[in-house]
Amino acid sequence: MTSSSISLLLVAAISLAAPLLYAALGETISENAGVINIQLEGMMLVGAFTGVYGAHVFHSTWLGFLCAVAGGVALAAVHGVACLVFRANQIVSGVVLNILALGATSYGLVVLLGSSAGNSVPTLARVRIPLLSSIPVIGPALFDQNVMVYVAFLLVPVVWWVLRRTGFGLALQAVGERPQAASSLGVAVARMRWLALLICGALAGLGGGQLTLAGLGAFTQNVTAGRGFIALAAVVFGGWRPWGVLGAILLFSTADAFQIRAQAFGAHIPYQFLAMLPYLVTILALAVLVRRRRAPSALGVNV
Amino acid sequence: MINRQRLRLQGVSLAIPVLSVFLALAVAAALLRASGSNPIAAYQDMISSAVGSPFALGTTLVKAVPRLLPALGIAIALRAGLWNIGAEGQLYIGALAAAGVALYGPALSFPFGAALALVAAMAAGALWGAIPGVLRAFRGINEVIISLMLVYVAIQLVNYIVEGPWLAPHSTFPATSIVANAFRLPILVPGTLVNAGLIVALVAVVVTWFLISRTSWGLRVRSVGANERGSRVLGVRVSGVVVSAMAVSGALAGLAGGVEVLGTRGRLLEGLSSNYGFEAIAIALLGRLNPLGIVAASLLFGALDAGGAGLQTAAQGTPAAIVPIVEALAVVFLLIGLGIFERMRARQLAADALRRSVVPAPADESAAESGTTGPRPPATGRRHPDADDATTALLTARKAEGP
Repeated sequence: MTSSSISLLLVAAISLAAPLLYAALGETISENAGVINIQLEGMMLVGAFTGVYGAHVFHSTWLGFLCAVAGGVALAAVHGVACLVFRANQIVSGVVLNILALGATSYGLVVLLGSSAGNSVPTLARVRIPLLSSIPVIGPALFDQNVMVYVAFLLVPVVWWVLRRTGFGLALQAVGERPQAASSLGVAVARMRWLALLICGALAGLGGGQLTLAGLGAFTQNVTAGRGFIALAAVVFGGWRPWGVLGAILLFSTADAFQIRAQAFGAHIPYQFLAMLPYLVTILALAVLVRRRRAPSALGVNV
Repeated sequence: MINRQRLRLQGVSLAIPVLSVFLALAVAAALLRASGSNPIAAYQDMISSAVGSPFALGTTLVKAVPRLLPALGIAIALRAGLWNIGAEGQLYIGALAAAGVALYGPALSFPFGAALALVAAMAAGALWGAIPGVLRAFRGINEVIISLMLVYVAIQLVNYIVEGPWLAPHSTFPATSIVANAFRLPILVPGTLVNAGLIVALVAVVVTWFLISRTSWGLRVRSVGANERGSRVLGVRVSGVVVSAMAVSGALAGLAGGVEVLGTRGRLLEGLSSNYGFEAIAIALLGRLNPLGIVAASLLFGALDAGGAGLQTAAQGTPAAIVPIVEALAVVFLLIGLGIFERMRARQLAADALRRSVVPAPADESAAESGTTGPRPPATGRRHPDADDATTALLTARKAEGP
């Protein structure tokens, strides 16, 4: 195991973490407000699709990212109409919206991106930060990535600060813990939940866009391949807190990067076992470890 | 007067699922139109490959079975107030167990081989389903997240097995060998794909109905679902009910996996289930947790699936992905329709209460108008409308038993 192979592993781990981080931070905000999004996977998938389609139509990666956000928000809005307006169960709505997202993006792939020309867009260039990127081993991983990777990591302290240090964030958590009490204190519960849900949709869409626009440069059927569920697991494993979520995602993405580069390390662990890892450690953490923090009390409960 | 309104509400409640399906088909038709396909021709193709011939009907039945079985299980868990959203994983584990018995188990003759493999599928599904039940009952961990996580563990486990240790020799895709005839569910109607899995499913419908409606276990399940604390006070061991309901739920999903392996597919393979376990959640809901409703809903989904396969082969080149869109839209409209219905019902209950009260207070009057206070509508999802009476029934039963 040479230092250069470790360096490559870290580069891969950090860039794999970015899409997960967007989705998981969005879900952290939403779950803190009491709205659970099983359709996180679906919102990522829609974002991944609308991102590529937008970039193709507008000939701009950045407008592609904007479309990715819009796609995620659109699916979140459907969830909101069903659950926040018509009080549908959040789990059922989430499961069904995942099916809808997979169907709609598969349909769109054939109808809108059918030609191979339409389904190939330029990806984001890497932005090398001088000096810092030449730090041995960790330099390339941390300081030679595309802009949206930096943004993803900078979002962690931002979300932490918003949730912990602003009136808005505290009101949001009150809505997730004791909606009735928050309501009696003058917090507009429904509006806060809508806001949290739409932010989550935007970030999940961005995460999907990051996957296609920064990474692959194309959309394929079910391109997210369960990343939304990994992000969902990360929120639970990370104890519903931004820094914890970051830790969980770094663990999961390092395992993922290790799986991709396993040959370089001469490892013979079947990749399926590494793919199980995020779920297994989340279940074990919940079942065995002392629970540091529980889920927001009103999570998934409609008010 | 009141009765007529009640009756009207009941009619609406039955009409909502049907209306949702038609609305979904209409929206999908608009989508097909917008993307340059002919929706009428597409629907004609779908109908002919879903019900147009004995073979098509058989395909619809075969596609309904792996959705029906998990949906029955999900409905049982939901009667106990539990969300088993991991049926997809339990299905895969059941399939794994059935294939294991059929390929590496004792050399039995038909029907004992098939029966043993199906029992193994149920047992494995029950174990997989019981995990979130145990964690919920004894550690207070939400069953939703655990059962969902276990889906992906199960799928990766099956992928590993069929790509590695159990991979059939010379196979071009990840799958085991075809299982021996003694373990296969035979074709029932020659010239169609209908196999004995259909009988298994019909037996399961009757058994689950009996379990829920006619046994004391079913009463406890419904009671816990309606009022967990109340049931505990009445002496129900809630943790036992939680674990057993999740296990039974998992067993039914596992059985679906067994039927797929031993019947339809004849082997275990990667991607055995195309979201059957997740669609089953929608089916359980669309069927309003009622066994006959679930049968109807899974026939509908089976027909859509068979019809979608027809679309793929039809000349129009209409993407078969329209099928999951129809399925999901139907459930989204159902959720919205049920939301509107609950509001209507709440208003109705408030109005009834107002009429019954001797001196209607002015505050009540405004409440009845807006439907905001008064009797709260039952929380949708976690409890079934019929289940509201289960705890009362249990209480009556306990009283009859005497001290």
